[in-house]
Amino acid sequence: MPENNKSEIELRGAALGYAGKLVFESLDLSIRAGRLTALCGPNGCGKSTALRAMRAMLPAEAGDVLLKGRSVSEFPAKALAREIAMLTQNPSAPEEMTVAHLVSLGRYAHRNGFSADARADRAAVAEALDSTNLANLAERPIGTLSGGQLQRVWIAMVLAQAAPVILLDEPTNHLDIAHALEVLSLVRRLGAQEGKTVIVVLHDLNLAARFADDIVFFSGGRVAGSGEVDEVFRQELIEDVFGIEYIVRREEASERPYCIPLAACPARRDRLVQL
Amino acid sequence: MTALSGTSGLPVTLGRGGKVALLALTVIVLAVASVGFGSSSMSPGRVLLAIIGEGARSDTVIVWSLRMPRLLMAALSGSALALAGFVLQRATRNALAAPSVLGIVDGAAFGVMIFLFIFSNESNALTVSILWQPLAAASGALVFALAIILLAVRTGAPPLRIILYGVALGALAKAGVTLFMIDGPVHRASQAAIWLAGSVHQARWSDVSTLACVLALIVPLTMLLTRRMDQLELDEQSAAATGLPVRATQLMLFALATCLTAAAVSFSGAIGFVGLVAPHAARLAIGGRALPQAVAAALIGAAMVVAADLVVRVAFAPLEVPAGAVTAVVGAPYFLFILLRAGRVHA
Repeated sequence: MPENNKSEIELRGAALGYAGKLVFESLDLSIRAGRLTALCGPNGCGKSTALRAMRAMLPAEAGDVLLKGRSVSEFPAKALAREIAMLTQNPSAPEEMTVAHLVSLGRYAHRNGFSADARADRAAVAEALDSTNLANLAERPIGTLSGGQLQRVWIAMVLAQAAPVILLDEPTNHLDIAHALEVLSLVRRLGAQEGKTVIVVLHDLNLAARFADDIVFFSGGRVAGSGEVDEVFRQELIEDVFGIEYIVRREEASERPYCIPLAACPARRDRLVQL
Repeated sequence: MTALSGTSGLPVTLGRGGKVALLALTVIVLAVASVGFGSSSMSPGRVLLAIIGEGARSDTVIVWSLRMPRLLMAALSGSALALAGFVLQRATRNALAAPSVLGIVDGAAFGVMIFLFIFSNESNALTVSILWQPLAAASGALVFALAIILLAVRTGAPPLRIILYGVALGALAKAGVTLFMIDGPVHRASQAAIWLAGSVHQARWSDVSTLACVLALIVPLTMLLTRRMDQLELDEQSAAATGLPVRATQLMLFALATCLTAAAVSFSGAIGFVGLVAPHAARLAIGGRALPQAVAAALIGAAMVVAADLVVRVAFAPLEVPAGAVTAVVGAPYFLFILLRAGRVHA
């Protein structure tokens, strides 16, 4: 699999932050094409900041953010949207909007003036509804849906955008574990089917270990570890990143690692602060 | 789901196109009634004959030189205000945004007051033609809108903050208007009061054609942006993620809303609540995409002002009660209804 090592998105010495306060002084990161990468780390470590920078929603104050070797800030708005789709952290739309209408809003970047290819739009929306199992809810107002259904609708909108790269900012937020599993299985299955590059910000380490190909751990404004799950999902590294003692085990059926947090680990927290 | 489609108050079997057609028909019926009723009433048949030039000579004069300009002014300014409100509500994602909230209308009023103040002589007569008054109103509106847009651009503020800038500047303009009202000549004050409430009774053909020309420019531009307005139903981040340049779009919409408002209030004064109620009613009745909703809002706005003007002419004759008084009487309770309904949804 030669394309597995091709990087789709690359950050080179990127200085990122808000209102003069830098979260990253110089971030170097490379996301591999066609894989599902989870961004993990404690609150405020910059997971969402890095994600927003990849979508050019946050300009790099220094350094570069590259998509297929080209700086994301050079892309016109619609052109970038055709390359990268993104589900933001707290998306919202009017309650009376129907599912099909909301999903069709994902097609905006494929429309040009009034000469839109209506047939391609309709096909893409229908396909997105089908693959997220929402076809029978197409005409329902989104205000009548459950949390899990609603999150599937947002994912359908992102799929309708038909971009090779998909960014998801904490898609399992506010979802119970059953719905979180459902959403991530869906993302994993669809991403693999169409060879998409998927980047997900996840709080839950075990969900990351279970569904991701690669994991990036952020900590204190730097990358603490980045690589395939088996490489980086190690007790030492996780304890460093979160400042908590962990047990890391391997689940036999899936051969995926998982971890159990034990107790706060003051010694390691001190070490973290020094970094 | 059924509750939502039921709130439209129209037969559920009617599609979006059907509802828009029904609204257009309402406007036409109101228009014929508006031309027919007045100090000398005539039947719809006589109205139609007069319009095509086949009626009695007196009918033709009444219809063409007195009632038609008034009717067209009412319809055009009503739809311009409604469209302005629709655009603002989309740009801000807020159902309470309206031209009168943004300080643009107060700015226009301020312009008119300064005009009346400067160009009145000691015997309360205007020293220049009244034809200059719309220009004064438009200048006032544009100056205040420009100030708001400048503030918005300089600070890169989100829409809600832009509304607050508008409220603050509007309060300033209102204070100025009050000062001139109290300090100015008495006769001018009463004339200004009619303008402030919004009235179409002084409509002239020249005004109508000027307004029509301005709208012929701005309305197509507005319709071209309806796709973008569709995207703006999403939160700003999601809208940006779909490829919409959010800030630039909001700014364009603000500029269009300002032009629409300035054009309408320059000639017919500050007709209240049309810009708030019409787009909201269109949303309830039509729903869905921005384009049909914009058309529906414009039709509802036209119907509101034409109906209001009809009411003041029939019910209060021979007094000249401003049409804006009627739209406010209908609009203010509706405003309350919106607030109560919004409260219930979020509860």
